[in-house]
Amino acid sequence: MTEQKRPETAEKTAPEGLTLSRRSFLEGLGATAGILAAGTVPALLSAGAGAATAAEPSLSEDPLASIIEENNAVNYPGKPVKYAKAAGKQKWAMVIDVKACIGCRRCVYACVEENNIGRNSGFTYIQVLEMEPGRIDLEHSELHYAEGGNPNKWYLPVQCMQCAKPTCVYGCPVIATWKEPDGIVVIDYDKCIACRNCMVTCPYDARHFNWVEPEVPKEERNPDVPVEEKAGVVEKCTFCIQRTRNGQTTACVEACPVGARKFGDLNDPESEVSIILKTRRVWRLKEETGNEPMIWYVG
Amino acid sequence: MAKKLITANGPGIYRFIGVDFNVGSLKNAGRRYWAFVALLGIIITVGIVAWGTALAQGGSVMAMRDNYPWGLWFTNYMYYVGLSAGGLIVYASVHLFGAEQFKPLSRLAVLQAGVLVMLALLGIITDMERPWRAIYMLLTPNGSSPFVYTGSAANIYMAICFVDLWVLITGYGGKKLAHRMTLIALPFAIYLHTTTAFVLSLNKSRELWNSAVMVPIFLTSATASGIALLLICAYIMQSLGVFKFAASMFRSLSTLLATVIIIDLFLLLVEIMTVFWPTSAKPGHAARLAHFFTGEYAWAFIPVLILGISAFALLAGRKTRHLPAIQLTASAMYVVAIFLKRYSLMSMGFSTNPLGQYSSPYFPSLVEALIALGLLAVGLLIMTLSAKVLPLQVPEDDEEPSASAAAAPVAEAG
Repeated sequence: MTEQKRPETAEKTAPEGLTLSRRSFLEGLGATAGILAAGTVPALLSAGAGAATAAEPSLSEDPLASIIEENNAVNYPGKPVKYAKAAGKQKWAMVIDVKACIGCRRCVYACVEENNIGRNSGFTYIQVLEMEPGRIDLEHSELHYAEGGNPNKWYLPVQCMQCAKPTCVYGCPVIATWKEPDGIVVIDYDKCIACRNCMVTCPYDARHFNWVEPEVPKEERNPDVPVEEKAGVVEKCTFCIQRTRNGQTTACVEACPVGARKFGDLNDPESEVSIILKTRRVWRLKEETGNEPMIWYVG
Repeated sequence: MAKKLITANGPGIYRFIGVDFNVGSLKNAGRRYWAFVALLGIIITVGIVAWGTALAQGGSVMAMRDNYPWGLWFTNYMYYVGLSAGGLIVYASVHLFGAEQFKPLSRLAVLQAGVLVMLALLGIITDMERPWRAIYMLLTPNGSSPFVYTGSAANIYMAICFVDLWVLITGYGGKKLAHRMTLIALPFAIYLHTTTAFVLSLNKSRELWNSAVMVPIFLTSATASGIALLLICAYIMQSLGVFKFAASMFRSLSTLLATVIIIDLFLLLVEIMTVFWPTSAKPGHAARLAHFFTGEYAWAFIPVLILGISAFALLAGRKTRHLPAIQLTASAMYVVAIFLKRYSLMSMGFSTNPLGQYSSPYFPSLVEALIALGLLAVGLLIMTLSAKVLPLQVPEDDEEPSASAAAAPVAEAG
């Protein structure tokens, strides 16, 4: 049945001028072949059926529907987030083009400034790994590579993936962290008991504990993000919840000099992330853990 | 009311909730006894000061960092919870399997089990930056977190141990209640150790922990180290003149110990083989475990195997295994081996983080070590005072009827 849906997508995105006509042609062929093989619908009818579904696109036929459906609130207590507006109808996602990434770490620095990460804390939300050519092997990667990057390596930025099945949320013993309806995993700084089980259960090393009182110079502080409340609790990337729920994009996307980062709403079929997921071949880090991360890599 | 609760029952003996507290015996205690108590008092005071420092200055005084989110407190949690098992299993075998030679140990075993679990729980409390937030564990527990299960199990188990001790001392409810308490306590001991293993094994993010064999390894390690500690305690109590045990009891204990040690080693070796065997080795797993054989963790992990095999060899030697010195040496070796094993196990999850970044070994900071020592001193103080004040010695007259009664519950169960 999924094969039937595919040509419809191609036709839908074709007006954007992004889809390769050859690809949609091939997929159309594939769909027809599939129906023929199934032997239930005559070949002549299948073309007409395809056209009919394309005329009335609905959410259930969105090729990303299965991904969006999985990306629901988890352990959501209905409590408002202190430093941001309430969640909207969006399902946030990010795509990072590793072919474009030059390992300049500008996203890291922009994130530190935007999110008031303690200058003495010794961690950053984004960790850029220098990867060996020819392998996606984290054991051979280097986090503390020399500034500037090496043209013989490739770079893999890792941060909180806002997983659809967040092991950190499952692992928190007191429901001090949860997944909001728009997919952002947040932490309640007033409730965190500092057991650090979420850091243990996270497969992406995305969560960080404030072992020291975070220090941010007064003039560099972002008034939209707390500082003092973060002492002795766990914090992490929130897709810049204070910006994205106000219609802005994240600080890392803004800072990237090569445009390697795309951020957007999966519910919006016109958004950059939706189009990339539908038209490019993408992959996710540690897919085998089944966490269903909401950050895809491409290239 | 207060007068009725505490009644003098002879010179220096006070009866409270049905238990005769022999406070008078403390007056007769020697200078060495009091010197030891004073030493423990000093260590506890230093520990409290260290805890205050940690509360005031936050986690920065700990050696734990993001790559080692759990440290000495967690090693000790696993260790103490494990040690407490052995005591209970020995005690339970008295009631459930009619192993009468362990009968004199029953009160000591239950007290030891309760105190050790208490230390494990205090270790968590002293690690928390804001201990009062522990209340959220009761208010909004999350059913999918293994922490909720091990935490609640430890608390309930501790309560069971102390109630059990009271039942054993007062004889309340007779043999029947003591038997029923055991029927509750033994599965709960196993449940507690299973959930403790789950804290490690239920993490797909930590490759070396994420193995079902972690649960049986925890159970066998716990039993072996617990029996070994009980054996050492019994020898100490006997040499202090507090208790008198039959040689056959020590022989049975050491036979049991040898059996559990070999099962424990077997499970560990099977797991190691799975990690390294060419057809099953996953690069992440093998690289992570290699640090424990040839890397910076070899000092901690290699002794686990050497001490374990040597302890078994000592207890297996037919001509020497009845000697107290051999039994004590083997027990001490295994108690140390299990501590190193817990430390290695903790490090196996953390030394290489989920993003493949290796960080050099964790060693506890001074503050962490002082807090842990202070807690250990609390446990020792309770045991030291109890040895004098509490009626831990099972009375002679109590032993006689129980010998015939012991067969009855077994028959009942059958």
